[in-house]
Amino acid sequence: MIELGTITGGAEGAVRDARRKVHAALERLTADDMLASRIASVTSQIFRAIERGANPGRIIVRFDEAGAQPTFVLDLIGVGGEVDEATAASFFDQVVWVRVGDVPCLRLGLYIHIAPGLELTERRVAELRGVIEQKGRDALMQELTLKNRELQDSFDNLRRTTTAKERMESELNIGRDIQMSMLPLEFPAFPHRTDFTVFATLEPAREVGGDFYDFFLLDEDRFCFCVGDVSGKGVPAALFMAVTKTLIKSRATNDFSPASILTHVNDEISTNNDSAMFVTLWLGILDVTSGALEYTNAGHNPPYLLRHTGEVVRLDERHGPVLGAVDGLVYSEGSGQLERGDVVFVYTDGVTEAMDPDGQLYEEDRLVEVLRASDIDSVESLVRASTDDVWRFQADAEQADDVTVLAVEFSGRPGGSEGVHILELSVANRLEEIDSVNESFEAFAAEHGLPEKVRRSMKLVFDDLLNNVISYAYEDEEEHRIGVRVELSSDRVAVRISDDGHPFNPFGRNAPDTALALGAREIGGLGIHLVQNLMDEVSYTRRTDENVVLLVKYLSNSE
Amino acid sequence: MNISVSVNGDVTVVGFEGNLDTNTAPEAEARLDELASGGGGKILIDFADLDYISSAGLRVLLATAKKLRGAGGNLRLCSLNEMVSEVFEISGFSTIFAVFPTEAEALEGF
Repeated sequence: MIELGTITGGAEGAVRDARRKVHAALERLTADDMLASRIASVTSQIFRAIERGANPGRIIVRFDEAGAQPTFVLDLIGVGGEVDEATAASFFDQVVWVRVGDVPCLRLGLYIHIAPGLELTERRVAELRGVIEQKGRDALMQELTLKNRELQDSFDNLRRTTTAKERMESELNIGRDIQMSMLPLEFPAFPHRTDFTVFATLEPAREVGGDFYDFFLLDEDRFCFCVGDVSGKGVPAALFMAVTKTLIKSRATNDFSPASILTHVNDEISTNNDSAMFVTLWLGILDVTSGALEYTNAGHNPPYLLRHTGEVVRLDERHGPVLGAVDGLVYSEGSGQLERGDVVFVYTDGVTEAMDPDGQLYEEDRLVEVLRASDIDSVESLVRASTDDVWRFQADAEQADDVTVLAVEFSGRPGGSEGVHILELSVANRLEEIDSVNESFEAFAAEHGLPEKVRRSMKLVFDDLLNNVISYAYEDEEEHRIGVRVELSSDRVAVRISDDGHPFNPFGRNAPDTALALGAREIGGLGIHLVQNLMDEVSYTRRTDENVVLLVKYLSNSE
Repeated sequence: MNISVSVNGDVTVVGFEGNLDTNTAPEAEARLDELASGGGGKILIDFADLDYISSAGLRVLLATAKKLRGAGGNLRLCSLNEMVSEVFEISGFSTIFAVFPTEAEALEGF
């Protein structure tokens, strides 16, 4: 029996989280997305029933190779709720009730065929564990609370036992420890990825500044990275940084817009910000397939875009003030298109405000010279070249502020965005407009030879989702525009539907009971249920001022 | 969409051509309403020429079936394409409607 991890309930989004994790794990084991979707969907339904009970549930995920048939085992643990065993039995090969301690547990077993090339090596098990254990927003916040508590304890100890001077030193050390422990320090950070590389360094000043950086993948295609600088120093600054960084990450996991992420983070940290601290931040999201870059600059010094042609471009837009100063602000965002070999170079003012022994500032011009002169053979050498020049300049003067540099290179994938076809439409909120969307889509589908069944399924999706938006999203009688974007690549159709109606998550409702007899059937919610089942991935995001629904249909599963 | 109506014995055969969705549902519902209230109570809907159906279309079928059943009539469906079949499976409609592969099979014993 191989333990793959535990999915915990109790938090907002836990059911969706469970669905996503089970899907991701099964897909990696079987390469059968249809199976993964089905099982993930039924698991989340049962888990939702458990979650409705008084106690939060959890799912232990295991893989059993011991029996005659390799089995994917899910132990759904929790009390309360009504679990539909019959449904479970029609999807799983084993459905049994066991007890774990005092708590009833529904054990679901699924016989699976491990796809060729997906054998359970140690590395694959580690990868699967990573998938299952990936932290949701709630878990991140819990971890942070715990960290804060530990910190408070050691702080209290300190207060009791040391002199003022020692205390000050220790406080700075603790601050630095927190600061450094929050950073991803291992490079290469994504050894298996060839489509982008990232390198970053942070050299703390003796008296800690509040610099930080972070980066992570939002999904297969989107890479999020940021550099920030918190005002102040010591423990308060480190804590403020830890909170900001955690909020960014938890928000970014289901919000793919830099402006929207920073708008929300700013609201959270501005409320109850008694210490009046603030943070300058630059955050970018790079689509590593297409090279599209979206970014928001909140009072941070402008980064540079180093084109593969040698051109050096300053990204000098500002999209709002520093974070933490005023709540209720709406940040905007900029965008750019990277080509292969282009690099985004982000840094903090510790670089440009470094001082030489005579008190002269390093200045931005000198940095630009280094960037121009650098023969970029890797982001690591670029980052090192820039910081080395700062150290040369500084010589034996004391480092006054943290020095942070982060660089990301876009390399793209073989094939890249070739063979990707895009249909982009904007329609008014009138029901007749659904026909025009479907007509445009018909022509697009015919031109690119989309399989019949997929074409028809997509028409249903447009009809049902647009009908929903047009009928229910608006409270006024004004004309609104609805955006529809279809991206067809060799293996998938991806659709994005956006509207500026009031916030509404169409997938937030419970599925209708499709087993009811004719007389008892209610039709409401059926369209959404159809969309969820016909598509392989559905998601909803509330951006700053729009609803965004994303859908993916994989082509390999049909016909 | 085009709606064709023919009579086979005591069965009214309705053919839908095109889309059965938000914008065509009102017309389809009106037509079926008319046939359900006037005819002999047996309606067969042939989907051979239907491109796709959405939940608005399903709603029409459900309304028609309820109406016919209330009046002692009956509804059968035939010749669903692959997409329509899948929608029927997902929605559970395949278990609440009498669905036949071909028109001939649907007419047999109706």
